[in-house]
Amino acid sequence: MSQKRQRAGFYFILPWLIGLCLFTALPMVAAVYISMTDWDIVGNAEFVGLGNYITLFQEEEFIRSLWVTVRYAVIAVPLIIATSLTIAVLVSKNHKGTGVFRVIYYMPAIVSGVAVAIVFKWILDPSYGLLNGILAFFRIQGPDWLYDPDWVLPSYLIMAVWGAGGGLLTYLAALKDIPEDLYGAAMIDGANTLQKVRYITVPLMTPIIFYNLVLGIIGAFRKFTDAYVLGGAGKEGNFYMVYLYEEAFGHYRMGYATALAWVLFVIILLLTFVVNWTKKYWVYSE
Amino acid sequence: MKNMLSVRKILGLTLVLAMFTGLLSGCGETGKDKNTFTFATWAAGTELEEFQAIIDKVNAEANGEYKIEVLSIPSDYYVKISTKIAAKNCPDFFWMTQELISKYAQMGALADISQQFQNSQVLTPDLYYEGVIASAMYNGSYWGLPWIANPLIVYYNKDMFEELGVAMPEPEDDWTWEEFLDVCRAFSGKQYNGNTVYGTVVDGWPNIETFIWAGGGDIIAADGQTILLGDEAAQKGMGYLHTIVKENLSPRYAEVASLGDNNVWFEKQRVAMYFGGMQDNFETKVAAMNAEEQFEIGYAPMPMCDDGGAWSFDWTASTVMAKSLEGNELAYRALEAVTQAFFEWKIAPPVKGSLDNIVEINPRKEGAMDTIAYTMEYARSANYIPEWSDINDKLWYNLYVSLLNDADFDYKGKMNEIQQYSEELVSKRK
Repeated sequence: MSQKRQRAGFYFILPWLIGLCLFTALPMVAAVYISMTDWDIVGNAEFVGLGNYITLFQEEEFIRSLWVTVRYAVIAVPLIIATSLTIAVLVSKNHKGTGVFRVIYYMPAIVSGVAVAIVFKWILDPSYGLLNGILAFFRIQGPDWLYDPDWVLPSYLIMAVWGAGGGLLTYLAALKDIPEDLYGAAMIDGANTLQKVRYITVPLMTPIIFYNLVLGIIGAFRKFTDAYVLGGAGKEGNFYMVYLYEEAFGHYRMGYATALAWVLFVIILLLTFVVNWTKKYWVYSE
Repeated sequence: MKNMLSVRKILGLTLVLAMFTGLLSGCGETGKDKNTFTFATWAAGTELEEFQAIIDKVNAEANGEYKIEVLSIPSDYYVKISTKIAAKNCPDFFWMTQELISKYAQMGALADISQQFQNSQVLTPDLYYEGVIASAMYNGSYWGLPWIANPLIVYYNKDMFEELGVAMPEPEDDWTWEEFLDVCRAFSGKQYNGNTVYGTVVDGWPNIETFIWAGGGDIIAADGQTILLGDEAAQKGMGYLHTIVKENLSPRYAEVASLGDNNVWFEKQRVAMYFGGMQDNFETKVAAMNAEEQFEIGYAPMPMCDDGGAWSFDWTASTVMAKSLEGNELAYRALEAVTQAFFEWKIAPPVKGSLDNIVEINPRKEGAMDTIAYTMEYARSANYIPEWSDINDKLWYNLYVSLLNDADFDYKGKMNEIQQYSEELVSKRK
């Protein structure tokens, strides 16, 4: 490519490059500095070195919110993957009416998080909620859900499973890529449906499961909207991001909140590295 | 060909520069006249229309001396205000709830208006109710002009009292908290209109200040330093809340949300009494109901606290001025004019001698006027300090909600714990 053409190409990407520097790189550098100050958004920022990072590991609320988030992530991520994959397998066949089910299962992905939270506030209402109404029909006394600290996590897991259809598109696309002749060969060998899923579908789906696992971990650690709207008794709904937001905009501890953001970044980065390292043991590659 | 390339180059570079300038033009403060002031409000919809009409009137009366422009921030108000301050693009005037004034004053975001306020010929501190103006004070200075007061009174269902044979409180009753609990006991568990009813509804509202004051105590002393949660009086006050929970004088915490907001329990005649702000418009709501659902509303002041005052928590908002305008006489005149105009807008005006405005604003409030007049003398806010948001977090999650969820919760132990935590916070204040 001639130098002139290269230069022209550079001019074309220049606005994007300026945007990247101004709105991504620069704020990131600024965030590193802010996390080492006691900045309260309005006044002057005083440099405190690693003070915020030391403080946060001594804060009871930090440990608590991290524990709430980790517990949720450990259960919700595999649960969502399993649910999503199962739904994808079920609706992958072109039977009559499957299109309707695909739309229904995918719908949660296009609904606003706030709207979902408000709907679930009613569904999980202890006295007049849909869920306890159904349980009452079977003469089961439903729990207080979000009002009982012991039931806050299960409440959020129910919401997570409800929204599991969000990963449907990627799973369906991956399912379509599995060569039909593999199933044909398995059928000749006498494999039943479960064996076909176990030995063909799941192994060939592992690249997309890996992709969804990484995104799932990131999503679980960044859980915010419904937790911010719904909360939960005994601060069991105080997820890491909610804690971070409250520190920044409720208590105006911008320096401390920025340190929290960097710690979250490091946690997610480490987990991604770990998952990536395990890739060679379970992800299929040609 | 060479010329063509140069033209293209120049054109390309100009385009890039134009886009870059366009990006940056959105940042920073836009130039405006020195006599034009921006007023940020959380008002939206009809309230914003009313607000705009008031501003238009004030602008017209100013005869060009100054001009106020409205900036509506209907959602995430304080997030946007703080971000604007950080971006050095602070609105000139903005509304601020009483809990945040000390924090923003400490952060250096607000103008100290003490001198202008005290020397004013129009609006002086002594014109305000004492408890109301205290909400705009921190560290001995005034940081805003309160424009609305909304102290609590007790709304009650006269029909329910009559039918269940319970003696009604008087509009200026000096009933005590013990007597209030006795009235609650007379209702709780009884049937009315086919429903089990309760004396009152408590689900985090009324706020914790109300209960702590009930025992004659307080959270933070007037010096803004001393924490009083460990005092016997403060703990006795929380004891009243403990009794309400333990004796089921209110629906269970988990049950309250089932009807929507807690006030719905009063509107649907499921509780006999409700702690509501003067501004709560139950009268209009009841008037709009079907004839068989309507009921007569009675009014009583807050029960007398153990120190002899019928203290009523007053939610007050002030209009504050940006730090950059400190000492600016023209800006202060505009602030004063607009604050005075607000006194004819909302219930209740925070200044003495303006109670007649209430009936003009809402004629249906006429029946409440004796109680309102009595209550205004006891309207007050807590001594909010910059550390309040942290202390309040602990009071809410670790104390109030815990007690609502578990009647056997050791609230006294928790109050002592929060006392220590709060003292540590205050000791670190810069």
